[in-house]
Amino acid sequence: MKEINKDVLVDASNRLLFKMEDSEYETLLSEFDVIQKQFEIMGHIEGVDEAKPMTFPYDIRIDYLRDDVPSTPLAKEDVLKNAGSVKDGQIKLPKVV
Amino acid sequence: MNFEAVIGLEIHVELKTKTKMFSDAPINFNDEPNTDVQLLDMAFPGTMPRVNKEAVRFAIRMCNALHMEIDKEIWFDRKNYFYSDLPKGFQITQQFKPIGKEGYLEIEVDGKLKKIEIERLHMEEDTCKQLHFSDYSLLDYNRAGVPLIEIVSKPLMRSGEEARKYVDKIRELVTFANVSDGKMEEGSLRCDVNISLRPYGSDKFGTKVEIKNLNSIANIEKAIDYEIKRQSELLFLGKSIQQETRRYDEAKKETVLMRVKTDAADYKYFVEPNIFPILLTDEFVQDAIDTCPELYDAKLKRFISQYQLEEVDAKILINNEGFADFFEKTCEFSKNFVAISKFLISDVMGYLNKENLPISSFPVDCKYIAEMVDLLKSNEINSSQGKQVFAKLLVENKSPLLIKEELGFTLINDEDAILNIIRRVLNENPTLIDDFKAGKTRVQGFIMGQVMKETKGKVNPGVANKLILQELNK
Repeated sequence: MKEINKDVLVDASNRLLFKMEDSEYETLLSEFDVIQKQFEIMGHIEGVDEAKPMTFPYDIRIDYLRDDVPSTPLAKEDVLKNAGSVKDGQIKLPKVV
Repeated sequence: MNFEAVIGLEIHVELKTKTKMFSDAPINFNDEPNTDVQLLDMAFPGTMPRVNKEAVRFAIRMCNALHMEIDKEIWFDRKNYFYSDLPKGFQITQQFKPIGKEGYLEIEVDGKLKKIEIERLHMEEDTCKQLHFSDYSLLDYNRAGVPLIEIVSKPLMRSGEEARKYVDKIRELVTFANVSDGKMEEGSLRCDVNISLRPYGSDKFGTKVEIKNLNSIANIEKAIDYEIKRQSELLFLGKSIQQETRRYDEAKKETVLMRVKTDAADYKYFVEPNIFPILLTDEFVQDAIDTCPELYDAKLKRFISQYQLEEVDAKILINNEGFADFFEKTCEFSKNFVAISKFLISDVMGYLNKENLPISSFPVDCKYIAEMVDLLKSNEINSSQGKQVFAKLLVENKSPLLIKEELGFTLINDEDAILNIIRRVLNENPTLIDDFKAGKTRVQGFIMGQVMKETKGKVNPGVANKLILQELNK
């Protein structure tokens, strides 16, 4: 299993355009520590690799579909508020290809 | 050794809904960047996807048009990847249970119909639009979340021509079903090609090359034909084909390497836990099918049988956006269906082409076009008078009958008066009757010309023609 350390989290948060404080990284690291330990325990359960994921707690079907009616979208300023850099109303980032 | 091309196509079609696949953000192609965005499209925590009913209806329509089995139980899955074009870090798609499977369409190849089987049709969301510059990229999230259907063919095409016809048929179906604009140049229909070569007779597949970013139907054919030539040359030289992604360079007219593929990407698909499985009712599915506008083949067949149109004319009307509707509305006012079709194709289309206007901007009402055709058909005006009436009709959009009277266009229908002129012409040209009986058919035209000259074009040509034949055959 990949080691989760602060460098990994900083890299991920940068890519996701989240700005995080040091204390938040510490909290997240401790949470990952718990999660990884839980996965380790589960890894020892017999036949776990063959188990199918239980996505939904109940075997139910719904019939809800949303009507195709537009709402007022977010203000452009709000959409771009979290962007580190903006150019011509678009989010600017280092070349990705 | 000769090689056979094995070609499969993946086509993405943007659906013409008002809102996105999973959010109620509006969709407007020409809006400013990042102004058609909702919280879900930006992956804000706590936001939940809600499936667009119209997108599901459109997907059902296309499944039906492609003769597919429709799965009434809708499941979505996550395709996980980390890239800037989707903030969530995954795309919601239908990996495990597509809404449609095992369909087909037919294309005409060498005068015969060839069935191209279609493996699957599934719904998913589009990614954001990325513009790449020399050292940076720009992101516009207006497109992120726009509903898509992906149509995956089986690898049954063998040439660029077959692939072009297949894509053209898909484009025709999505536009006639009114589920998409189907515009490749605007990206509402996008096509990726998978192509490999193998020796004729072999049932094994060669190494597959993918061609992406094809922006026109013509380029699909060109790119495939080039790729067949490129791969054949490599194989003849004993070289192997590399598994890679290429794009078509329009200027160079060749495919160009984009990247070499190594291992298949592992998207770690799993069922989308934020959307419960949706069970569609039989009524919902049937209604989606029943409300589908008439498709091309059905309309062509109906135009030929209902209106007795020639196939070539029916195709012209159907292929030109808005003309088929205009034709049918005009036919509500006159039974001269064939004459109406000819008038629309020649005079109306000629005018619109000259003025560079769509039929939706045509300034004349259908009922007046019908009246115009009736006037011509009943020989109440001749063709040269018809042109003058039509010119005025285009400006004034009023009854052609009224225009005809205003212009003083009345045709001479008096048979005695016409007979007098014909007999005078025959007396002045005594050899005409013998010439006619000797088989010189131009005699008839000569007499008609003289009658027209005498009456300054005001004689009813139908009546005159009948009387000329009557006199010549005496």
